[in-house]
Amino acid sequence: MRKSLLLAVLVILGSFAFAQVKIGVNLELSGRFAAIGNQTLNGIKVAHMQMPKVLGQEVQLVICDDETTREGSIACAQRFVNEGVVGVLGAISSSMSIPAAEVLQDAGIIMISTSSTNPQTTQIGDYIFRMAYTDDFQGKLAAAYVVKDLGAKRVAIFRQIDDDYSYGLAGFFDATAKKLGAKTLVQDYVANTVDFTAQLNNIRGFKPDAIYYSGFCAEGAPFMKQLREQGFTQQVVGADASDDPQCPEGAGAAFDGWIFTGFATPNLIPDPEAKKRAEAFKAKYFATIKNAKPGDFNGFVLAGADSYNVLVAAIKKAGTTDVKAVRDALANMEHYPGVSGDITYKGTDGTPKDRTIGFYQYKVKSANDWKKIELFGKSTAEVQ
Amino acid sequence: MAASKITSRSTIISLLIGAVFVVLLGARINSLENYTFARVVQDFLNALTLGSLYALIALGYTMVYGIIRLINFAHGEIFMLGSYFAFYAMTLTPLPWAISLLVTIILGGTVLLVLRSLFNLEEPKRTFALSLIIFGGTFFLLTFRKLGWVEGLTLSMLATGVAGVLLEAIAYKPLRGAPRESMLITAIAASFFLQNFGQLVFGARVRGFNAQTILNKPLNFHIGPETVYFTGILVVVPLITALLLWVLNLFVSRTRLGKAMRATAQDAEVAQMMGVNVNQVIALTFFIGSILAAAAGVMYAIRFGQIHPLMGLMPGIKAFTAAVIGGIGSLPGAVLGGLLLGFIEIYVVSLFPTLSAYKDVFAFVLLILILLFRPSGLVGEDLTEKV
Repeated sequence: MRKSLLLAVLVILGSFAFAQVKIGVNLELSGRFAAIGNQTLNGIKVAHMQMPKVLGQEVQLVICDDETTREGSIACAQRFVNEGVVGVLGAISSSMSIPAAEVLQDAGIIMISTSSTNPQTTQIGDYIFRMAYTDDFQGKLAAAYVVKDLGAKRVAIFRQIDDDYSYGLAGFFDATAKKLGAKTLVQDYVANTVDFTAQLNNIRGFKPDAIYYSGFCAEGAPFMKQLREQGFTQQVVGADASDDPQCPEGAGAAFDGWIFTGFATPNLIPDPEAKKRAEAFKAKYFATIKNAKPGDFNGFVLAGADSYNVLVAAIKKAGTTDVKAVRDALANMEHYPGVSGDITYKGTDGTPKDRTIGFYQYKVKSANDWKKIELFGKSTAEVQ
Repeated sequence: MAASKITSRSTIISLLIGAVFVVLLGARINSLENYTFARVVQDFLNALTLGSLYALIALGYTMVYGIIRLINFAHGEIFMLGSYFAFYAMTLTPLPWAISLLVTIILGGTVLLVLRSLFNLEEPKRTFALSLIIFGGTFFLLTFRKLGWVEGLTLSMLATGVAGVLLEAIAYKPLRGAPRESMLITAIAASFFLQNFGQLVFGARVRGFNAQTILNKPLNFHIGPETVYFTGILVVVPLITALLLWVLNLFVSRTRLGKAMRATAQDAEVAQMMGVNVNQVIALTFFIGSILAAAAGVMYAIRFGQIHPLMGLMPGIKAFTAAVIGGIGSLPGAVLGGLLLGFIEIYVVSLFPTLSAYKDVFAFVLLILILLFRPSGLVGEDLTEKV
């Protein structure tokens, strides 16, 4: 009690001493999605270093770890409401973003989810934005790739039934695959499943040509290990949740060949100007973050950086830290030159208009010796 | 007399229920297309492995409950520690000799102290021989080569056993004689502590446990035109489980310490009056339970290929369920419950593919049914062997 009082006094004194703009950061820094959460945080930190001031005031990042739990995410959101931040960056996953968005929308605080892709997230209200594409786009692209490019007639789909992202994405994939004439078989599992042997035994009779997996690495690593052990040699396609070092590190050589859709890396961004900006940011990232491994830089880093960039740009444009004015500036933002591409929120529900999805493939020799190969990129504008 | 009548009646009822289940299952298997004999065999092997792992963990719950009536919620975390110890033993070796010496002195010293207090090693000659084996063995193992899974398993079992004894000494022993609720809450606290300790010390990331051992070699065989996919671990897990059970059974039924354990389980106070060192028996129970959990942890990691600090949560709850289904406090009950749970989890998914996400629900529905009709579990009625 006394400690918190002292802290409060310090905070008040501090805010008189140097006027500060506070931005909340709500990320999965521990727990299941810790790897992606920390990548995103690094992106935000580097962007913050590049633009530490707005309207002549220091920007202070208030970082909160939601421990990859819904309760933790709500607690972080409530803490930001009490601290009076202008906006909140994060969370990365849809399951943590949606509960936080409900709290922040009620309190009238801006939230920019860095990589939530479930369409619902931004439909919660007018204060909720995101940096990603949505899963109907991702699912559609992945299904078209699997059915048309890989020529699969029968596709087995694995979805995590207790996760908003995985469940929704599998649905979009399934619908498009069926529309394109493929047969599908959906298998469900829940978080922390490690034994997939029975599900694998089920798809054996179905004889799939390809397998789509819409979940995360914590389950993906044992899934792949058992899949290969049980004699399945089919191509497996995953989504952006597998853009996580925990996948190849967890499964080792069994993960070799996995193809996935994810946030575009600099090489895959079609717009040459945006590509230049992304390359410059990448160089800055490796100069700033000590002992960063090459595999650590991915689209999540860029999305994190841009969530910070657009919020600061909106504050600048509004000319005030009044949340309502900043929200209006953000909602009317057009062609912001972000490091992840061009960002336009005008006329959308809070999802940027032009986003690029990259297709990647893992080449894994062992848990410590792996790399990602960039296959190609597709932008939202190109598809619709 | 009355008791045996009830027993026979309830046995008949359970047999009848069992028969109905078997008939229903048979009908279901018949109606499923593509469910060939090879797939039945495949499922059986997978279920046996999973069930054996649950059984090993469940034994720890049931033993501790039998002795001090405590549900040791931190047991799942002991299981997690076991897999991490083996992970480090297998990936960090060979260590430079100076570090190896340091680890040997700390680890060996603790192990020796704990073993001495557990097994009454008063005689100086024996103690000397034991310390030589432990210090020399640990140093030798850590220094000269990369450890395989057998050495990793052995070292991890020893270290985890000691961790279990320390847990008991630090968290539960001061509460001996306090109301049971206090101990229960402490157990929950210990569980949370170990989870967060694991995240801090081992890192929150998922680690791959990709031991390229003989256990992961495919040993596929054919039934008719179809292949059954088979790896060494599918035999080794049930075998090691059976071996450990056999040793445990010998220990409990044939040795003086085992007798002391059984006496303590029946009535700790009276046992103490008869000269049984109850503190020692309790520590020993934690030691054995933790050894079994470590064995399960290492084999679980080899089977599923990854470890993380929260990995003990679900298997812990499942194994606890298994112990209650079998009749908590009963050794054969824990094994029976563990196997039953493993089989349900696998076969529910196979026979009802659309319900695959709800396999845990079936396990817990079974728990509720059994608690309704046999509150003391499947074999919990017989209170004679309640260690």
